[in-house]
Amino acid sequence: MSAELVRGEGIVKRFGGIVANDAVDFAVTEGDLIGLIGPNGSGKTTLINVLTGHLMPNGGEVLVRGKRVSGRPPHIYAAAGVARTFQLTQLFGRMTVLENMLVPGLTRPHSSWQEAARRARGYLEFLNLAHLERLQARKLSGGQQKLLELGRCLMLEPKVLFLDEPFAGVHPRLRDELIGRIQELHREGRTFVVVDHDMESILRISRRLVVMARGAKIADGEPAAVRTDQTVLAAYAGL
Amino acid sequence: MKGIHLGILLAASALALYFVDELSSYWMHVAIIAMYYGILAASWTLLAGYVGLFSLSHMAFASIGAYTSQLLIKWYGIPIPISMAAGILMCCAVGGLIGWVCLRMSGPYLAIFTLGFSEIVRIAIATEDQVTAGMAGLHTDPLFPDAATRLPYFYTAFALLAVSLVLMGLLVRSRWGLFLRAIREDEQAAAASGVAVARFRILAFAIASGFAGLAGGFYAHYIPIITPSMGDLDEMAKLVVMTVIGGMERLPTAVGGAFFVEFLLEKLRDLGDSGGDIHLQVPVLGFGIELHNFDQWRLPIFGVILLLTMRFARNGLITPFWLLFMRLGETRAGARPAATDLPQKDSGT
Repeated sequence: MSAELVRGEGIVKRFGGIVANDAVDFAVTEGDLIGLIGPNGSGKTTLINVLTGHLMPNGGEVLVRGKRVSGRPPHIYAAAGVARTFQLTQLFGRMTVLENMLVPGLTRPHSSWQEAARRARGYLEFLNLAHLERLQARKLSGGQQKLLELGRCLMLEPKVLFLDEPFAGVHPRLRDELIGRIQELHREGRTFVVVDHDMESILRISRRLVVMARGAKIADGEPAAVRTDQTVLAAYAGL
Repeated sequence: MKGIHLGILLAASALALYFVDELSSYWMHVAIIAMYYGILAASWTLLAGYVGLFSLSHMAFASIGAYTSQLLIKWYGIPIPISMAAGILMCCAVGGLIGWVCLRMSGPYLAIFTLGFSEIVRIAIATEDQVTAGMAGLHTDPLFPDAATRLPYFYTAFALLAVSLVLMGLLVRSRWGLFLRAIREDEQAAAASGVAVARFRILAFAIASGFAGLAGGFYAHYIPIITPSMGDLDEMAKLVVMTVIGGMERLPTAVGGAFFVEFLLEKLRDLGDSGGDIHLQVPVLGFGIELHNFDQWRLPIFGVILLLTMRFARNGLITPFWLLFMRLGETRAGARPAATDLPQKDSGT
């Protein structure tokens, strides 16, 4: 049986009177490639923010590999093997591509510059960004920035990666490249949770589909089964 | 920085130290004060330029360092180096505390908070005249009581500036420096990358304040009297102007800005003293302007320089020269970055 990496139990998150997450249970087990979908405002990004330590839940618990981490700062989550990208790409814009990679690489215990640079260059090669290592990150194209953000996650050698809208606004060629890299990393044993509105891409890669609507999880299962679920069709597609 | 740059800097330093006694007492004093501001500008750059924390309390920390050092001497009669070290520690502790209190602040909120703190320090020093001698000023013990010239102070200021720059340079080139720059760029992304943002923000405040305390301690034992105005807003504004004009993303350019502003201010004062009225001929338009009481005009002139810098040279006036200097020794082939170079070796220093 695969080990459970991240578990959110009864996650509640409110913003004033708006309930963004309403007692959501969400578990990620080793080897998962989960597609997290839902209409705008359904609470997907809020859930990711809570599960990665960027938001404190008003209720419920977050456990990473069985340890309670709710309320701890995000770098504790990162150290525990939880990496994430952001809905709007958040790079270290005035730093070079290589420096962007080195930041997470050097936060790892017992890391050295040489070892971090070697790993960074390996991942940049894998992501087709090696020739740009000296360029300021803000000068990359949108798709390249998404790839770099993925690379920065990989430098943490994470157990699980939460990707928030990785395909949004990305050129189709780079989107295919991104999908290819995610699938390759998944085959190598990485665990992913991918949030996106691009249904075609999500269905292409997901092994498990979770659907949210109005702050609650309304379906969780095999993509083929979830797609025909009447609740999902009603809530998500408005049918 | 490569060997050639280090060699040139060392040679320039050696020349400066060798020929310093050619300077008049007045210009030697200006150089010493420029080095005092140099330490402050570099340490403020560490905080505002590298971490993006636009604190307006830096001069308050200089006055905390100065008053702590002199008061400890007054109360306990301890030697000056120990009292200066205590001043540095005090600034580190208070700086760390301020860093902790304003962890969630940035931009204008942080600036206003630190300005408030700075005013509290200034007013407390001005009010507690039983302890600090208030606005009358606190008489201080000289670092070199038997010195006949300013030369020992020059050498001391030079050594303190050099050691401060080396220490800050090592910090910004280390992994901590990389993390601090990452925090400046995006705190959320830095945290997601595993950087303990709160810890590093507090650390940056503590370290930068410690250097301000060092500068303040030196100033206290160079100038025979210290007053609350040492940490006032005018002084802070002067420090910001120095750093912005020099270039606030690199330590050497910030120091260059401090020297440029201090020397130019004194030179303009000199011009004002020599006659008072200046006639400026505008060559293109062919008319002349009479500036009466030129001494009064030097600060508006700096205002104009600052505005032009912000508009046309956001990286500072010294930065292009520094970058040119850093390109010395590059061949055409060498100008391309070597694939094996680690990035921190040429960034931000």
